Amino acid sequence: MSKILAITGAGAMSECMRQINPDVVPAFPITPSTQVIEDFSQFVADGKVDTEMITVESEHSAMSACIGAAAAGGRVMTATSSAGMALMWEMLHIAASMRQPVVMTLINRALSAPINIHADHSDSMGARDAGWIQLYAENNQEAYDNLIMAPKIAENMDVRLPVMVCMDGFIISHCVQTMQLEDDDKVKAFIGEFESTYPVLDTENPATWGALDLQDYYMEHKRAQHMAMKNAKDVIEKVSADFADIFGRKYELFESYRLDDAERVIIAINSVCGEIKEVIDERRENGDKVGLLKIRSFRPFPYKEIAQALAGVKVVTVLDRSESMGAYGPLFVEIRTALFDAPEKPMVYNRIFGLGGRELFMSDIHDIFEENKTYLETGKVEKMFDYLKVRGG
Amino acid sequence: MKEKYKLKDWQDLPIGGVVAEGGNSADYETGTWRTSRPIWMEENCINCLNCWVFCPEDAFILKDGTTKTGKPRKEIESINYYHCKGCGLCAKECPVNKKGKKIAIDYIKEEH
Repeated sequence: MSKILAITGAGAMSECMRQINPDVVPAFPITPSTQVIEDFSQFVADGKVDTEMITVESEHSAMSACIGAAAAGGRVMTATSSAGMALMWEMLHIAASMRQPVVMTLINRALSAPINIHADHSDSMGARDAGWIQLYAENNQEAYDNLIMAPKIAENMDVRLPVMVCMDGFIISHCVQTMQLEDDDKVKAFIGEFESTYPVLDTENPATWGALDLQDYYMEHKRAQHMAMKNAKDVIEKVSADFADIFGRKYELFESYRLDDAERVIIAINSVCGEIKEVIDERRENGDKVGLLKIRSFRPFPYKEIAQALAGVKVVTVLDRSESMGAYGPLFVEIRTALFDAPEKPMVYNRIFGLGGRELFMSDIHDIFEENKTYLETGKVEKMFDYLKVRGG
Repeated sequence: MKEKYKLKDWQDLPIGGVVAEGGNSADYETGTWRTSRPIWMEENCINCLNCWVFCPEDAFILKDGTTKTGKPRKEIESINYYHCKGCGLCAKECPVNKKGKKIAIDYIKEEH
């Protein structure tokens, strides 16, 4: 039976994995993703799933085992964070390039050094070119829903790409929120049976995965991979629409929050969007035309759709919770690209915030809207790039 | 063989670089990699098959033959230049070459 319960974000992910009942889960623990696997291994021990759980010696091995198990013909899931995903690096690219529909929960956490276990997006943003579909979530419910949709997106025959389901470390992964846990059978029925492509365990039809590609074929394989990611955009929309029909919660490639007549808009990813919405509601009460565009799918990135959604907006503040040293934030770069061909370009500027888990409070968000109000009045962006809440300015 | 290995467009490739059938490396032309070429000299060959044993590409083609006393044996027929990468192992391992009086496998620069 579907039920409303109070659960942590990580707990919700392990519940979802229990419902999906994957064939293989290779994993290595790392904070803050540990609880996902900890809870799930209890389900394995209690016989609540048929999953073969492989406790490996590193994250590199975890992702290697994921790829091997997927190529063997199984539905495969895992979870990691930060340095754990950094150690998977080589294999992330191989999973995507070998078109294995692995589904991974990524609990976003800062990369070292200095060592830090709290939320920022340096792990997933660094992996944005690895060829994985990246879905982000504001809260437990969205992360859970994204994980239900992830296998259907990954395993679609026009896609066959791995999916990373991201949420903020601790803020979401370890905080208890109430959410709707769907009925087991309904989730299983939604996801359906796994269909394998050229499984290596099919000895009647021998296939070789991961063979050498030389100058004569490498580019064609990359081109095909690009197409798969392009297809993923439509598939995400289609799967989200099917999800809405069955479970009632609607998702798109991004969420437009009070954007219709908005003049000043914040664009952000993940948990901070909850506070931004609260602030927008407060300011709207006083007639301030502000809005939020919350990214759900960062890869593939919906350039055209975002440009359309921002038509009529005068000022856009892009919040990045990670850095590309010596460049603008990764989200900002995409947004500016999306807006370059727009007939009327809004002012767009970039703020870095929340690195290593530094909180952004509602008063800080009010400050952002005050600042971009000044930019709108003067018609000039005073500072294109800056940090929020860093001592010393 | 060559026609079968016409380079395909990206739309026509099996997914993710999978090699979707067994044993098809025989279709792949590695002969274009050669910078040097072994030449088999039938008149000096003693058919010891050392070249065939050492060849990493299985490029020596054998045929049925007989010894002087009429016993059946395998003999070298030719070199398959579609696969021969020109590594020169055959010429190096040839006992006739090693003796130094005659050449049974010559090894010359490839002319492209």
